[in-house]
Amino acid sequence: MQPRIRTRTHVAQALCLLVAGIMSLAATAIAAPAERYIHVNVQDSENSANVHVNVPLSMAERILPAINNPDLHDGMISLHRADLNGVDLRAVLNAVRTAPDNEFINVTNKDADVRVAKSNGNIMVHVIDKKNRGQKVDVTVPLKVADALVATANNGQLDVAAALRTLNDAGDVLLVTVQDSGQRVRVWIDSRSTQ
Amino acid sequence: MLLLGKIGLGMAGVALAGAGVLCSEGFVQVNVVEKQPHGASIHIIAPAMLAPIAVRLAPSRAFEEAAGQIQPQLPVIDAALDGLRESEDMVIVQVDAPGEHMQVAKSGGSIIVDVDDPAAIVHVSAPIRAVSSTIDQLAAASPEANPL
Repeated sequence: MQPRIRTRTHVAQALCLLVAGIMSLAATAIAAPAERYIHVNVQDSENSANVHVNVPLSMAERILPAINNPDLHDGMISLHRADLNGVDLRAVLNAVRTAPDNEFINVTNKDADVRVAKSNGNIMVHVIDKKNRGQKVDVTVPLKVADALVATANNGQLDVAAALRTLNDAGDVLLVTVQDSGQRVRVWIDSRSTQ
Repeated sequence: MLLLGKIGLGMAGVALAGAGVLCSEGFVQVNVVEKQPHGASIHIIAPAMLAPIAVRLAPSRAFEEAAGQIQPQLPVIDAALDGLRESEDMVIVQVDAPGEHMQVAKSGGSIIVDVDDPAAIVHVSAPIRAVSSTIDQLAAASPEANPL
């Protein structure tokens, strides 16, 4: 074989390998989107106990529609009319979505401090329960997840299954933190199967 | 003599194939070691395929109560096991407290439960597919599943 032909053959072989490598990487990326996990961690300093729970979001998505009881049916939570007090959740969310980042609610009284704000595409709720050992509750809900909760649900219902699907596309997020003098509870989403 | 050899070879082949089929779903492993003096120590390893067969062959009265409790939860259990089967190996639940440790994990297609408390050390490992078949068989034994 002439040297020129041999060189071209080598270049062609290298190109084929490169293309095959890129295609296999792309195929892997397309075929297997990274699984995401919902984690719960409870640290009970009073009893020196520690609880870790890790559940793949896809598993939670499967389980949720299978649960059927009066309050949770087909992946939807039914809110009692008394809880809603005539509030149109969808309208409230629409108003929040279009508003700039801001603190919307700030209530301070002898029982509790409550703050609700919008920041970087998240709705954030901070509660300090003064009657309950100063328990602090922080809840962060990405706006698109909140949208999914009400998008297809009737008023008085929350579509938790749709919210879980949307959480799959949301970034890593610390959803809930509850902390008091004895316990700390955290709920978060990320793409690691361990804590 | 040649005929006897062939028959023997055939029987050995059937036995080997049978053992292969029996073990194809993996093994259920149960270890219990009581920590008290002279406490029991139980170690069982059995082909997982035997569990649903045993439930199917046992008198349904023996499982009526358990079956009645499982039947309403069957869709949730099935969904959870399906999800678990497709998930990667992971620790699902872990509880640590002074003197106590409990862990539920998925590893290599099996559910593994480990408990270490002051009373005993328990290790249970069962293939998810076998757990699923056994629960289906149990639920089928409930009076609601067989109204007649």
